[in-house]
Order: sequence, then structure tokens, then C-alpha cells
Amino acid sequence: MAPEKQHEEHAHGEEHLRETHLMLDPKPRGEMNAMVMEAMHYTTWKFWVVAAVLAVIVAVGLFYSWGVMIAEGLGLAGINRPSYWGIFIVNTVFWIGISHAGTFISAILRVFKAEFRRPFTRAAELMTTFGLMQAGFSIFMHMGRVWLAYWLFPYPNQRLIWPNLHSPLTWDVLAITTYLLASTMYLFLPLIPDLAMARDRTEGGWRKVAYRILALGFRGTEGEWKHLRLAMNIFAFAIIPVMFSVHTIVSWDFAAATRPGWSSTIFGPYFVVGALHSGMGAVVIVLAIVRGTMKNMKYFIRAEHFEAIGKLMLIISMTWAYFFFNDYIVQWYGGDKWTNILLHFHEAGPLGFLWFLMLAVNIVIPWAVLWNKKWRSNPWIVGIVGLLINVGMWIERYIIVPISLTINRTPFTWSLYKPGIEIPLGIGTLALFILLYMLASKFIPLVPAWEVQEGQLAHRFTKYGRETVVTVSELE
Amino acid sequence: MAETLSLLAVFSDLEPAADAMDRLRALGVPEDHLNVISGIPLNEAMLGRKQQHSNVPKIALGGAVLGFLVGSALVFGTPYNYPVPIQVGRQPIIPGPPSFIVLFELTMLIMLLSTFLGVFLDSYFPSYRPKQYVADVSDGKIAIFFACPEDQKDKFSQAMTALGAEKVEVAEAKPL
Repeated sequence: MAPEKQHEEHAHGEEHLRETHLMLDPKPRGEMNAMVMEAMHYTTWKFWVVAAVLAVIVAVGLFYSWGVMIAEGLGLAGINRPSYWGIFIVNTVFWIGISHAGTFISAILRVFKAEFRRPFTRAAELMTTFGLMQAGFSIFMHMGRVWLAYWLFPYPNQRLIWPNLHSPLTWDVLAITTYLLASTMYLFLPLIPDLAMARDRTEGGWRKVAYRILALGFRGTEGEWKHLRLAMNIFAFAIIPVMFSVHTIVSWDFAAATRPGWSSTIFGPYFVVGALHSGMGAVVIVLAIVRGTMKNMKYFIRAEHFEAIGKLMLIISMTWAYFFFNDYIVQWYGGDKWTNILLHFHEAGPLGFLWFLMLAVNIVIPWAVLWNKKWRSNPWIVGIVGLLINVGMWIERYIIVPISLTINRTPFTWSLYKPGIEIPLGIGTLALFILLYMLASKFIPLVPAWEVQEGQLAHRFTKYGRETVVTVSELE
Repeated sequence: MAETLSLLAVFSDLEPAADAMDRLRALGVPEDHLNVISGIPLNEAMLGRKQQHSNVPKIALGGAVLGFLVGSALVFGTPYNYPVPIQVGRQPIIPGPPSFIVLFELTMLIMLLSTFLGVFLDSYFPSYRPKQYVADVSDGKIAIFFACPEDQKDKFSQAMTALGAEKVEVAEAKPL
């Protein structure tokens, strides 16, 4: 091949790589900062209409309904013998699952130095914090008399209530509190430089005051970066076992009981993988919406990111299928009478269609779509698969909790769970999650510009013989 | 002895900033009179600086130990403070596996809280006093603060400009 033609092909190849990969398509930092700030400030009337509708749903569905339930009692909920646990617990497990996405992307991908994570770590971390808030709301709803929540704490008291610190209830309280606090701190630490950037780029007003306070006086000195980076590394490694512990402990709430369908040694990892399945699904939904609706986000969030997350989703779906089958086959083969009745009830009971729908959206659809690079590079296709996975994972929890509770060893108590006030309350928590996320996206720089710039500095085109390849330096 | 002056030189790229650091050292500016602020983390080797000291790992470790002790006090101490120790089924009063869970969560919780606190302590956060700063830093520039004799201001300014400084000016503390 003529040298000119070769050179032209290489130049074309480089150009294509630049268009495809954010890390190879650098812009001046000032310009990137301006784009991030513009994305925060640019708001259309549609945004406020959606926010207003969500605010009404939150006010009525969550706060009013909860107020009514507090006034009238937990009898308004459908939980009753034999299904003492219903949608409140389903939602608690579901939201804790959603919250796993942020840590997975931000911590695990950081530890493994997966470069594609850089532009959307914060978008995922925000989901963790807001998701855990909804999990907290849901468990407090289930508690009924929420004003007595402090009875859980083991302090000397005159009520002669002696909480057992070794009980699974305490494991839950500790694990969820640890995870909520840890993930909020882990969200805040890398946000400090971006808050300082927002402070520097904001002229007066309440925003300036808020950014100034939240940036804590950060300037970017060598010492500040050093301490921040060390802390982020400690968090990245330490939060991973905490993340695993949270959903494992949630699974033990079920597995530690000797009930048909629940008593399983594989529930811990099965729940963790399920959490990652729904969490990654939720991340792509959020990224597709953020990319499609927020200004300048098409530069930061590209097809390559959906392609990479799509691959992860496919692997997680396969792992979930493996754990599901593993859990199923052992229970089925065991031949316990009540377990067999329950398994049959899952598949052929009045809600058996949910069992098949769960398998379809958690396994069949992801496998059918995500193997194809072109499809998994399309934000909306991956976003829809993510949405379906979340529907499937919610159904999975519904099957594990109230449907499984329907069948026990005392057949005269068998009756199907019919939710009551749980439905508006559940919709209210979903609306609150979306509303909080929307409002946060207008106040918090959703893209960590400094992490993107750092990644772009680390990427280079290098010539190996006749070929130009992309190399990544380790700057940390 | 001549009065000293604090100057600020702003660079767009790392290379000229690193050269400027070498030049300032050659001009006799002591290492501890040189300060760098940047919009992305630069490790010390990039600018030929000595390793910065950080207490964050030690504070984190201290937090882990404290968390373990608090957890131990709760799981081993509380049951015997009750009028009648709680016994679940045939489990011992202080069962091993559940105690491990509580110990793990409290160790991690207080360790992570301490790590977070460590950043605040080591970085003197929050601090809203006026400071020497230039907002260009958050747009990706690298700023070097250094002290020089007042009568040699021009010499230092010219040296920095020759190495590619976009601006060299007297550094003043201002509200952030």
C-alpha cells in the first residue's frame, strides 16, 4: 500500500476513534466545565411540568397516604395471615437492589480501572443514595408505628424492652445504615472538586452561597488532592464488602427462616446478583434519559458507554439465571412436600404468569438483545431492556415475599395477598426517587469533569509499527 | 534582608509547570515555599515534588479499631447488662456468627466515617477564610505559588513567562 494511502487510513481510523470514545475526544477543561454547568442551568418548561406532576404524586401517594395509614393503622395495608410481609418489604428489597448500581460502577469499576466508568459514576452514585432513602421509607412504612422506631436502639430504658443486638433486625439496621452513610460520603468526596468548580463559575445568588459552603474551601492543593484520593481509594475497596453484606443480610431475613422456598444457602449471592441486575438496569434507564433530555450530555455519555454497560448486563443476567436455576433445582430435587407445593404454586398458581414473565424479562430478553453489539450500543434499546429487567426483578421479589408466604405448613391459613394502601405508597416512593434525582441533576454537576479530564490525559494514540493503537497510562 | 513577596504563575500544561518548578528551585526558592494547585490530581513525581504526607490511612485504621471496640462492647457487653439475658432457642447468650455480623458492620461503619473525617482534618475543611487562589485552576490550569524577594519580582516573573506562564501576578488572599 502506498504510504500516503496508509497515512490517510490511519488518520481516518483515529478520527473514527475520537468520535466513538470520550477519552480520545478531549475538550479544554473550561469548555467541559461550561457544558456541565449549562446542563444544570438549562431547564425547559417540560422539566417543571414533570416535576410538578411528580410532586403531586409524592404529596398524595406518599405523604398523604402514609399519614392516613398512621392515623388509621396498618390494617389499611393488605398484609395479613399468612402474608405478613407484602409490598413494603418487596419495595425495601427492590430499592436496596437499585442502590447497588452506584457502588458497583463507582467502586468495583474504579478498583479494576475500567476507564469507561468516568463520565457516569456520579449519575450512578446518586441512585444509590436516593434508592436507599426509598428503602428506608419502605421499611418504616412496614413498621407501622414509625414513631416508636427508637425502641430498636439498645439503650437503658424504663420500658423493659431489651432489644436483642444479635437478631437479624439489628443486622439489617446496621447494614443499611452503614451502606447509606458510606455511599453518601462516597458520593460527596469526589463531588468536592466539582462543587468548587461550580462555586468558581457561579456569580452570586443562593447557588453561589450553597456551592461555597459545600465546596468547603477546596482549592486543589497537592495536599487536598492527596487526602481526597487516598480516602476515595479506601472507600472504593471498603465499600465493596459493605455492598455485598447489605444484600446478603437482606437475603438472610428470608433464608434464616425455615420456610418453604426461603431456606436456601444460596440466597446471599443470588440476592446480590439480583441487586446488580436491577441496579445496572436502572443505571441505563437513567443514562438514556439524562443523555436524551439534558443539554450537552451527548458529548459525555456515548454509545460506547451503553455498549460497555450492555455487556455487563448480559453477564449479570447469565449469572442471575445460573443462581436462579441453582436455587430452583436443589429445592425441586429435595422433594420436600411443602416446597414442591410452593414451586408448583409459583408456576401454575393464580399468579403463575408473573413467574414466566420474570424469566422472560430477566433472562430471555436480555440474552436476545444484548448479544448484539449494534443493539446494545443503542441507548434507547438498552434503556428499555433495563426497564424490563427492573420490572422482572420487582416481580422476583414479589414472588419471593408475598406469593411464597401464601404457601406454608398450615394449609387452612392459605390465602392470596391483596395489597391495599401499599400501592399508592409504592408509587409515591418511586415518584420521590425520580423527583429527587431530577432536582439533584439541576444542582449537582452530574458529570465529574475532573475525572473525565484526568481520563482524557491518560489516553494516547501510539504507533506500533504501521498500526496506531490507543494506550492508557496509569496516572494515579 | 529584603521583604518577600508571594507570586502566582498560571500554566496551561503540565510540562511547562514542571519546568517552572525546576527553574524556581534553581533560583533558590526552597521546596516548602512552593505550592501547586490544580484542577486534576497531579501526583508528586510529575512535578518532582517530595511525597505529601497524609494521615488519612492512619485515621481510617484508628476508626476500624474503634469500630471493632464499639461493636465488641455492644455484642459482648450488652446481653449481660439486661436483667435477664436474652436467649434465642438453643443459641448461646453471645452467639458467634451473629456477633461477627454486628462486629463487621460497626468496624466498617466507623472506619469509613473516620476516613471521611480524616479528609476534613488533614485538609482543614471546612475553611471559608480568604485564601490565595485563582479560579482558572478549576478550568484545568496549574497555578504555582512561590515566595520571592520583593526586589527580584521582575526577574522571577520573566523566568516564569519565558517558560510559558500565561500570567504572573502577586498572589492575594481573597474570599473563595
